Parts: sequence; C-alpha cells; structure tokens
Amino acid sequence: MKEERRYKSGLIQSLNPLGFNIERWSYTVHRATGVILVGYLTAHIFETFQLGAGSAAWANTMAALHSLGPLEMVGLWIVAGSALYHGANGIRLILNEVFGKLMGKPILPVYPYSPTSLGRNQRIAVWTITAVVLVLWVWAGLYLLAGLGVI
Amino acid sequence: MGEPVAEGGKSLMKESWNMLLTYITAAVLVFVLTFHLLLESPLVGKTLEDTLTFGVATGNLVYYRIVFGLLLLTAVIHGFNGLRVLAVEWLHPKKLGWLLNLIILLVMAFLLAVGTVTLVVVQ
Repeated sequence: MKEERRYKSGLIQSLNPLGFNIERWSYTVHRATGVILVGYLTAHIFETFQLGAGSAAWANTMAALHSLGPLEMVGLWIVAGSALYHGANGIRLILNEVFGKLMGKPILPVYPYSPTSLGRNQRIAVWTITAVVLVLWVWAGLYLLAGLGVI
Repeated sequence: MGEPVAEGGKSLMKESWNMLLTYITAAVLVFVLTFHLLLESPLVGKTLEDTLTFGVATGNLVYYRIVFGLLLLTAVIHGFNGLRVLAVEWLHPKKLGWLLNLIILLVMAFLLAVGTVTLVVVQ
C-alpha cells in the first residue's frame, strides 16, 4: 500500500497548532522544553569543564556570560520554566504510561470516537500541572530578579 | 502473541528497553536535579569567587561527587535519548536510523567523558 503524503509530513505537521487538544499541547510543550534543557545541559557541561583549565579560565567564561546582562537571567528563567514543566509533566507521563493511572479504561472505538485517555482525571492533571508550574515559574523569576538586586 | 515487530519484521523490543531506560533516568533525575537546584540556587547573585569556593567545596565531598556523577549520567542519557526519539518521530529514518543512533551515542559518550573529567580533575 502506498503511504499517503500527509503521513510523512511529521515535522511540518507537528508544528501546526491548529486542532491541538490539551494533551497534544502538553506533548508539544514537553518536547520543546526537552530540547531547551538538552541545549542548556550541553552548555553547562562545557562551562563547568572550564574549571579543569583553572579558575581564571572559568571566571573568564562566567564574566562573558554575565556581560549579557539581563539576557542571562532571562535565559536562566526560561531554563527554570522548562525544567519545572518538563519535570512535572514527566511525572504525569510516568503515571500514565508506566502505571496506567489517570486514564480511562479501553473501550470499543464507537463514533464519535471520544478517547478515554482524555477523560476528566487527565484534564485535571494537565491543568493542575500548568497552574502549579506557572506559579513556581513566577516565583523563580522573582528569585532571579532578587539575585540581580532589582527587587 | 509473539514479540512486537515493525514493518519488515524488525523487533520493536529495543525501543521498549529504551523507553524503560527513559522512565528510570527520569525518576532518578527528579530527585538528583531537585537536590542540585536546592544546593546551587542560593548562589544566584553571589560573586564569582563565592560561587567558585562553594562549587569546589561541595565537589570535594565524596557523597556530593557521587550525586553529581549520577546527575551527569542520567541527564545525558535521558536528554540525548529523548532527542533521538524526537528525531525518529519527526524524520522517520528508515535506512539511516543506525547513523542517527551512532551520532547520538557518540555525542553522549563525548559529553559523559567531558563531565567525568571535570568531576575527577576539579579539586
């Protein structure tokens, strides 16, 4: 059977937010935050590696980062938000996929195909995670601003 | 029921093991990363000298060094395996899947080596 073109449009189609349900948004944000965290992890490993070349080399690297001014803190704030969301949503995914929690029981696919995996518990979990992460993210922003001496 | 297979009869069990590894490293990361953040977050806004003194002092404690080693291992495995999954979902590589796996493995090995050198050398 010849594969339809739309089945091969993975990358482009995954970037089209039209028609996403709440779980699909959660899936997209989980992946986007994951990519941000991998980028930060790589940079952090190389930054700490400078210590091996002596404290002066590391201080120079850190001075270069600090010269970015508020941009450095904005970057750290985005990384903090990514870690918070990826971690909290990851715990939900482990409950879903490893332990089968928060999901409905499997049923026969009868029209209009309402997926049991998107039931009340799942929606409550996603919105609770989003709310808690947003509060913690604001707190992290205030913490970083306090560190800068702005507030 | 037999072993799940993909198109062409290729076993899907390797991906299952990969997902198990992803879940295990994720669960470990929740704890070690929380520890790392709680330990280091008070350094926000401190001078470079204070940060360096604190970082080296904590790194010299053997238990912290073990935790940092565990953090490095789980973060690199979880992060780059996640990146591989993302690439597979987006690109659907059929013939060049082995090349993707090889590149990811090499990058993981390189970063683990760099991180391990840092943990061993910095005293």
